[in-house]
Amino acid sequence: MSVQSAETKTVRGACPQDCPDTCAFIYHVEDGKLVEVTGDPAHPMTRGGLCVKLKDFAEHHYNPDRLLYPMKRTGPKGSGKYERISWEEALSTIKSKWTDIIDQYGSQAIMPHAYLGNQGTANGLTAGDAFFNRLGSTVAEKTYCESGSSTAWVMTVGPTGGLDVESLAHAKYIIVWGMNMVSTNLHAWPFVLEAKNKGAKIVVIDPFKSRTAKQADWHIALKPGTDGALALGMMNVIIQERLVDYDYVEKYTLGYEELKVRAAEFPVERVAEITGIPAADIVKLAREYATTPPAAIREGVAVERSPGGGDAVRAITCLPALIGAWRHVGGGAVEMPIYEFPMSVAHVSRPDWIPPGTRVINELDLGAALTGKMKLDPPIKSVFVYNSNPVSQAPDAGELVRGLQREDLFTVCSELFLTDTAKYADILLPATMQAEQYDIMVTWGHLYIMLNQPAIPAPGECVANIDLFRKLAKTMGFNDAYWSLTDDEWLTLAYDWTSPALEGITLDILKKDGWKRLNVGMPDVRTPHAEGNFKTPSGKCEFASSMAANGNFVLDVWRSGYTEMQVGGYVDPVPNYIPPHEAIDSEPTKTVQFPLNLLSPKPHAFLNTQYGNEGPQMKRQGEQRIMINPADAASRSIANGAYVRVFNERGTFEAKADLTDDVGAGLIVTNVGHWPGLNRTGTAVNSTTAPRHANLGQAGVYSDNRVEVERI
Amino acid sequence: MPHVVTDNCRLCLFTDCVEHCPVQCFHADGERSYIDPDVCIDCGACIPACPVQAIHEVFEPDAERELLELNKERSRTLPTISVKRSPLPSAAARQAELGF
Repeated sequence: MSVQSAETKTVRGACPQDCPDTCAFIYHVEDGKLVEVTGDPAHPMTRGGLCVKLKDFAEHHYNPDRLLYPMKRTGPKGSGKYERISWEEALSTIKSKWTDIIDQYGSQAIMPHAYLGNQGTANGLTAGDAFFNRLGSTVAEKTYCESGSSTAWVMTVGPTGGLDVESLAHAKYIIVWGMNMVSTNLHAWPFVLEAKNKGAKIVVIDPFKSRTAKQADWHIALKPGTDGALALGMMNVIIQERLVDYDYVEKYTLGYEELKVRAAEFPVERVAEITGIPAADIVKLAREYATTPPAAIREGVAVERSPGGGDAVRAITCLPALIGAWRHVGGGAVEMPIYEFPMSVAHVSRPDWIPPGTRVINELDLGAALTGKMKLDPPIKSVFVYNSNPVSQAPDAGELVRGLQREDLFTVCSELFLTDTAKYADILLPATMQAEQYDIMVTWGHLYIMLNQPAIPAPGECVANIDLFRKLAKTMGFNDAYWSLTDDEWLTLAYDWTSPALEGITLDILKKDGWKRLNVGMPDVRTPHAEGNFKTPSGKCEFASSMAANGNFVLDVWRSGYTEMQVGGYVDPVPNYIPPHEAIDSEPTKTVQFPLNLLSPKPHAFLNTQYGNEGPQMKRQGEQRIMINPADAASRSIANGAYVRVFNERGTFEAKADLTDDVGAGLIVTNVGHWPGLNRTGTAVNSTTAPRHANLGQAGVYSDNRVEVERI
Repeated sequence: MPHVVTDNCRLCLFTDCVEHCPVQCFHADGERSYIDPDVCIDCGACIPACPVQAIHEVFEPDAERELLELNKERSRTLPTISVKRSPLPSAAARQAELGF
């Protein structure tokens, strides 16, 4: 008689989410079923714990609402009525439709739309780049998040990883500028606490009192979109009071004289007026920052989400060099250390396949591109969405929905669930989840290369994105050797394994150990810019940027490797303060009509919209709410817990009101990420946000948004 | 949802949990520990660390009002604990009594 015992195994993996933490996973499998996903205790960032978003991650793989088969639409667009079809039928439908479109309009009438629903090298942001470049589609410029910051960062210090977040433990003064770390960079927070326990001062700069601001020694609640003025004000004080590290500035920076002239335009009285921060506090912040080494700035993406956000990030990124902070372990700044990973855009995205003269359309402009508000020749006749949920995440959702409702638009969506975007697709294609696929994860918050290995087979007929695009390539008759590479061959070409950063690290070693730290210096000794060595054209920190003369641009990684057809436009050689369009009193009529400034930070229990359809996570996150100051609520007869309508000329959504002093008068805060279709009125915050771009990198101006609120 | 430390902690105070907490939300006196619900970020890293399963997530706050209030109140007045201590002398016996 045989003894039944559960066959258990563990497999090493890594988190697929768009998060700087990219945790090391241990998948626990019993009798072929994924029963648990835990954090690797040995990983110095993960430290054995994941996060609230990844609770129930194993169960998520078995959610009964998962798309398991290709589907074709049987009801009106947006109705969510689909029937199962075979992969053969799905692919032949796509081929037939695309062939017709290409014959009639040319291949640029097709446009992909992708972002970071998955953060893998093979299955993530760039999964479809090689395919769509080969097809000759419109190049989609992917600037939902980070692009503004990365353009600004690269212009100032070059493509450097900067300060390692682990080195924050050695800082004595930490400014968390525009980031809610406790919700969105949780695994870096213990290093901040370690510094705090050793006597460091923690300053959080954020327009509202976030969870992270509540843990700060000092919360500076500036008006939204005024970060650039604050940074320039700090420079003004540092220069006036001769707190500059002149030796460092002379040896390792470019444009100090020009910066001095610019900073002189921002005396603290002016900055106080702009930011709403008392002049004495600005002086105090500047003095403390300049005289408490090692001084660190943890830059958050939120800063880029205003019209002047790009220059604000430049100004903030100039600060460390001004005071010589880069000399010290734990000093300097960190934004997105992704540049330390030697990934080959040439292989991953195959920009060499892009036909010369191909046009670029920015993904945040998808609504206008589809409705015809943007004059396009050829028009967009087909959109292919993967790793993205634009109906929830793109600005001006109303315009986008109007566009997706077009009967003559052929829409394909690769998805895990029937999201608000997927409901407009003509064809749905089922995707694998992380425990079912194989990839090297891209990370933008630490310096470890992470391999995710599959623990369970793909359910139904789900495919990983890399396989999806192999299928599509075959369908469209592409014969290139590229499409026959195995996963390992592909990943081997995706990184420069001969680079010093990857010395001693191979794919085989990663298969055994799951992750390895890059050879970029250990956190207790790393000082990449102690002696300059910036990755700019001059090799110096460029206060006056030599790249400004070439105009506004988006880094190639956000636009399928394409370097042509940049948006261009004037960029000030020295960072300046560019006021918000809506948030400050620059539009008097709008100020009266829509007097409240609405911010929409990321949710705590969802990752963007992922897990927004999971019962326990919905309970943890709670329903759509706004934080509103008691004075603003009282004048509108809004009681605590009452439902309210939030609206402007672009759209409307409803939410429950939380009266709190965590937001000042004039400011309201709600989370992005609630599924519009699960909300009251079927809309969410992006029905109200503006389809405009910030001054650098085509970032979206999500934070530059005025609304009114009324009780229902 | 808020996480709480239950009475299982009393007479144990293993404090394995505290070093797993990324936000240092644990407070303790000489008897047992408490979680500050205003600081806890629901990551759940502490739950598997406890040898006597003294921590759980509260999905129905109304059903566990007293326990939530206790954790909240005690967190106001007690110091945080972020470094593991030796368990209480009574810990082994308490662990056995609780069936772990």
